[in-house]
Amino acid sequence: MNYPIWIVPFLGGGWVIGIIAIIHVFLSHFAVGGGMFLAVTEHLAFKRKDEAIYEYLRKHSLFFMIITTVAGAVTGVAIWWAISLVSPDGTATLIQNFTLGWAVEYLFFAGELATAFAYYYTWDKLPKETHLLLAKIYAVMSICTLVVINGILTFMLTPGGWLKSHYWLVGFFNETYLPSLIIRLLIMCAIAGMYALVTSSQVKNVETRTYLVKFCAKWLLPIFILGPIVGFWYLKNVPQAAIETIFTGISSSGIGNFSILARALYLSMILSGTVVVFAYVGPYLNPKGMTTRIALLFMVCGLAVTGTTEYMRELLRKPFVVYGYMYTNGIRKESIPELDNKGFLASCKWAPLGLTASSTDVDRGRAIFRYQCLGCHTEGGYRSMSRLLGERDKDAIEGFLTTIHNTDKEKNPYSGIMPPVAGNDQELKDLAAYLDTINHEKRIASKAHLGAAAPASEAAAKAHI
Amino acid sequence: MSSGSVKPNKLLAWLDERTKLEPLIHFAQKKEVPLHNHSYWYYMGGIAMLFLAVQIVTGILLMVYYVPDLENAHASILKINSQIDFGWFFRSLHSWGANLMILVLFFHLFSTYFMKAYRKPRELTWLTGIVLLALVLGFGFTGYLLPWDDVSFFATKIGLDISSKVPLIGTALAQLLRGGDTIGQATLSRFFVIHVAALPLLLMALLGVHLLLVQNHGMSEPTGFKALPASEKKYEKFFPDFFYNDVLVWILAFNVLALLVAWFPWGIGPEADPFAAAPIGIKPEWYFLSMFQFLKFVPSMIGPLEGEFVGVLLIAGVGLILALVPFWDKGDDEGRSKLATAFGIAVLAAMIVLTVLGAFS
Repeated sequence: MNYPIWIVPFLGGGWVIGIIAIIHVFLSHFAVGGGMFLAVTEHLAFKRKDEAIYEYLRKHSLFFMIITTVAGAVTGVAIWWAISLVSPDGTATLIQNFTLGWAVEYLFFAGELATAFAYYYTWDKLPKETHLLLAKIYAVMSICTLVVINGILTFMLTPGGWLKSHYWLVGFFNETYLPSLIIRLLIMCAIAGMYALVTSSQVKNVETRTYLVKFCAKWLLPIFILGPIVGFWYLKNVPQAAIETIFTGISSSGIGNFSILARALYLSMILSGTVVVFAYVGPYLNPKGMTTRIALLFMVCGLAVTGTTEYMRELLRKPFVVYGYMYTNGIRKESIPELDNKGFLASCKWAPLGLTASSTDVDRGRAIFRYQCLGCHTEGGYRSMSRLLGERDKDAIEGFLTTIHNTDKEKNPYSGIMPPVAGNDQELKDLAAYLDTINHEKRIASKAHLGAAAPASEAAAKAHI
Repeated sequence: MSSGSVKPNKLLAWLDERTKLEPLIHFAQKKEVPLHNHSYWYYMGGIAMLFLAVQIVTGILLMVYYVPDLENAHASILKINSQIDFGWFFRSLHSWGANLMILVLFFHLFSTYFMKAYRKPRELTWLTGIVLLALVLGFGFTGYLLPWDDVSFFATKIGLDISSKVPLIGTALAQLLRGGDTIGQATLSRFFVIHVAALPLLLMALLGVHLLLVQNHGMSEPTGFKALPASEKKYEKFFPDFFYNDVLVWILAFNVLALLVAWFPWGIGPEADPFAAAPIGIKPEWYFLSMFQFLKFVPSMIGPLEGEFVGVLLIAGVGLILALVPFWDKGDDEGRSKLATAFGIAVLAAMIVLTVLGAFS
């Protein structure tokens, strides 16, 4: 609310972050896990003096280097661009607290990039022992970037003691720091292993291929077994209120009584279970039969587990961007009473721009909608207001807004998943007036259809009798 | 590394002594699957079997709570979706599983068709497959009405109206299925019995024959592969090599189903009201949409004949030509072979185009 708003029609700003973040998470996790895989596999090649494994690593590392250094870095910058436009207040909170943390992470990242280039371009130019050392340095550097960024990411869900002290290190080393660090390391190793399965299935020499595919299975199996155990440990440290949201999300009876979070959790469990069976029956029991097509499909499944788990983690934080401190629309939890008293538009720096004395209630409502709702909803696209409002008329919308204006959990069943609407009574009316315009014409057309259908159904009833 | 054979162990020996399964395992190990660029189509039948297993298990679970009664049918589905633990999950598995099974069966049908796998000696395998597909479509049609919501009610009404146009037997068939002149309790009871008793029995019996024929004849080899010199032909053992990959493909297919279930749980519309106006743009399920759309394009009268009657006749004719393809494309005439391929492409293209048009109309 202290910065200009960025309007992304149909898709919504959340998805701009989401799409970039999903790609970046896959790439950055691949960069760290792949670093560990390269170090361990090269260590194996060094010990066995196995030229076939060296040859495999040489080819494997080209794509790895390009993906991590180019695509990983580009999407990393893109995330900054997206979050600062879509969620400027949240981004500001993170920067103000973790400037030093990010500076340290950047140092490690620069080291990681330098080592990645050195690693790839010194194949056959450095003694094998020195080259192996480069692989290990790369692995350590990339793990260090995770060690830092993990503190900032987990802070957003479990800021813990920071809420009182506002001291960055307290927020950094929070309740989910350690389980999240381990679970991310496991995911990173899993992505790297699944990618290695794709590349090793392409090795022409049958003996080397069989050995490498089985090596990938041995790399993956413990990760897939440990994953759900660490996942459970992680969930134990998440705020209880967020866990409750998993099972009591708002949904209509027609689409099941579980929230999207619960469904994401079940999906994550099913996919995690099936990848264990897959890794055992496929590359472990039948390494010779592993084809690139199946390895690729397996990687898609593995990435789906990662994507679903990440999505679930993001949903757990709802309706906050920093849990218990700042809502997804950039409004601080403690500011709500003040905004209710003074009025939202009067307290907001940018929203009133463009509004004049002659502006209508719809204009004012639109401005409030943009600043308070657009972070998660769109008019007619993702989480469409048109679909959610349905047949509600202005009075019904106002009644609904009064419910979600309430900060009391007992009176507002949406409090666990939506920020309360901030503003005075007149502003709620303005917002209702604007929301009413979204489906106004559709409602009139629907009434006209029902009116026309009534005589037809009477005729049908007579025929039926 | 896989040794390609099963290690003898005490449990297997114990089992073999009592079940005499060794010849079966020996048979599976001896059976070989051709390896070529189109080998992945061999997995379609297995995936369809997996989805069938899902249908059986989830169908039995749904039957525990479903009540085939006009007063309670819709309410019982609502209860399954919202009150029974994991009810939404199993119902979604059932509904999405049915759709995926039909989709995979279409892949199976057309891949078999274009690989000319229907030719001698597999004519009966092909015919049983066609009848199995018809039975599965019957499952889809009868199961669709059971939730008794407005869309399923009116879609069934349209479906029965169309089936009444089937030459000779149409009126009697529609009357028999409906159990009277209008859709009501008799229809629901009949559809339920057909869905949970008649069709499963027929399916199981015919599937047994189909699988037996597949096992006896082995995997069909495409024409290009057959023409290769013996030294260039590659095979893999059905057990364990192909079987292991089959399991992997099942896992992947199940994951696709799980993704659909989790992200798009199957909903239910408002309860059917026979006296209400039909919802705008009512359409049948996607697998009947091409036929539905085709009938929409047919003029109401063609000469002295009713348009829908001619349309249904044409659809039945195409189905018959497809079913009887092994008897007119026997592989001894290049011209007929090309004609069969062209006919298959035309049918497939028409189905896709009409389905897309139907979906967006």
